Amino acid sequence: MFAYVVKRLISGVLVLTLVSMGIFLLFWFGPSSPAQPICDRETSNRCTQEKLAVYEKTLGYNNPVYEEYGKFVKGVFVGRTLTIASNEYPCAAPCLGVSFRTKQPVKEELVSRIPATFSVAIGGAFLYLLFGIPIGVAAARRRGTVADKALVSSFLFISSIPYYLFALLTWLYLTITFEVPLFSDTGYFAITEYGPFKWFSGLFLAWVALGIFGCTQYTRFTRGAMVEALSEDYIRTAKAKGLPSRTIVYRHGLRAALVPVVTIFGIDFGTLLAGTIFTERIFEIQGIGWWSLEAVQGRDLPVVMATALFSAVVLIISNLLVDVIYSVLDPRVRLS
Amino acid sequence: MSADTAGPETLGSLSDEPQQQDPNSQQAKEIAGKSPMRIALGRLAKDKIAVVCALVVLFFIICAVFAGPICALFGVDLVTPLASERVDGLNKGLPKPEMGPPNGPFTWDHPMGVAPRTGEDNLAYWLYGCRVSLLIATTATIFASIVGVVIGLLAGFLGGTVDKVLSFFIDMFLTIPFLLAALTMAPIINDRFNTADNYSTIQKVALVIVLSIFGWMGTARLIRGEVITLREREFVQAARVMGMPTSRILFKELLPNLAAPIIISVSLMLPTFVALEAGLAFLGIGVTDGISWGQTILKATNLTFFREYPQYLWQPLLGIVALVLSLNLLGDAVRDALDPKTRR
Repeated sequence: MFAYVVKRLISGVLVLTLVSMGIFLLFWFGPSSPAQPICDRETSNRCTQEKLAVYEKTLGYNNPVYEEYGKFVKGVFVGRTLTIASNEYPCAAPCLGVSFRTKQPVKEELVSRIPATFSVAIGGAFLYLLFGIPIGVAAARRRGTVADKALVSSFLFISSIPYYLFALLTWLYLTITFEVPLFSDTGYFAITEYGPFKWFSGLFLAWVALGIFGCTQYTRFTRGAMVEALSEDYIRTAKAKGLPSRTIVYRHGLRAALVPVVTIFGIDFGTLLAGTIFTERIFEIQGIGWWSLEAVQGRDLPVVMATALFSAVVLIISNLLVDVIYSVLDPRVRLS
Repeated sequence: MSADTAGPETLGSLSDEPQQQDPNSQQAKEIAGKSPMRIALGRLAKDKIAVVCALVVLFFIICAVFAGPICALFGVDLVTPLASERVDGLNKGLPKPEMGPPNGPFTWDHPMGVAPRTGEDNLAYWLYGCRVSLLIATTATIFASIVGVVIGLLAGFLGGTVDKVLSFFIDMFLTIPFLLAALTMAPIINDRFNTADNYSTIQKVALVIVLSIFGWMGTARLIRGEVITLREREFVQAARVMGMPTSRILFKELLPNLAAPIIISVSLMLPTFVALEAGLAFLGIGVTDGISWGQTILKATNLTFFREYPQYLWQPLLGIVALVLSLNLLGDAVRDALDPKTRR
């Protein structure tokens, strides 16, 4: 067990290092000059070659890339001071750079955006598990009946529609056209500032959209896993012993069926935490996804880079957790 | 499509009932000669949903390929002479009544109306949007499949260290969410090329590259798994004993046996890429200064236009939904037809 966790940890750290290097190199060699956006911004689009050279020099773009990557990594652990033109910007650890637009350390704004994204992710995930698993179990128990077939095909239909169109239509029609009172003002309102009701009503529609869409997929996963579990020999044994059907389905069947569902859920939830870009864009929730879109439009390279890194870290950690939890739930994994 | 109806033509003579017919009859001979692909095709042709979906997909392909002639047929054009001739600047930039909905009756001059503010013809933009969508999705699917198949073949067949390294990269790429990768690439491509003359072409090429780079892992995994089981089969060992070079074994012996998983992964990729292309354009990070359904949707979600002229939103939206839905359902039917074990 311990050896397995250590092995997974090492590979997680390796992936993280490679991904961070990849992202760093991308932002180093990708743009014609990484200092161009800030030079344009500071000089109101009258960036001359001399000015550009000043920005490049102070931001360290004349140094070799490995040296700057080293500084960047060091900044993440102990903090650093960044120089842009003639101004110095202190950046405490973990330093992810300074925003080109606001000149604030990226980390602080990132932290302030996390509650919005996490609220969306947790609420949406809660709803789709709440509906997805029971519906999936019910469908598996009624396998082959008309109700099951109707459910499976209608859910297949819904999940074939691109999510963002589904969310967009939900928002346009419920909020704009019909002005349903509960959904009238979508967005993120901090619970500490606006109170729980405002927070809830702002996010509710986003949760419902995520919930309905995710629920169709979880119903399919759960149904598939349950159908398989219910055809196992031990279920037949349980039936032969005369156990009540509820015990058979929930204690013997569902326990086995939930293992793969939990795995998929872990990965999905990680993806949600890493930034629900479409949801945030459509329901006007100012979380990490919204922020990174804004940064792309404002050519704020440090922010784009920081959000990419943040999402990669969240995903790698969640994958790691899923693997470890999976190995606890299913000992066969450790041996292979 | 249950197991009971899976008669002789689907699985040969696996049914329990003894064969009543004369084994030398016409029908029996036909059964004997069917390849797995032909069996799958026969199953598909019997699946009503699959046939309908295939027709819908065919319709979109025709629209995409013949966008030019269809435009000429209706007398519409991508080029707008003068926006003020078509839209009413005093009325929120909505189309003039004689241009069709929302303020006027249907007109054959502009069968799908014109866009608010810019006065672009919707039919022409819809047809060329369909072309962009299918072109990007198909090209990206081809590239991603090639990369996936090659990596899957190598990882599965060579095994050992090669497999470990390649599997590590597959897992690594799987942890990077595609949307984020596209988002990260967008400002870089913008920065480098936004002054180039062929910026919109470069954007499309970049989009295809990003889609391919982050879309091959599923195929690679599927192929790798399949190759690992095929690798130990007698025909591969026979080829080895005969001294066939590895590359020949890979492409002459193994590849033909991988047709089913390749078709399956293509059927999964195509609708995903169509949806993603439009989604990225909707976010403003895919195709931004060309013609794309996603971009039309972005323009149409302007609240004034949406309140007054919802058809403008629904035209591209229905295009995407119909195309993605039918590709998905068709893919599902293909997967079922290829898998001898499925019973729905």
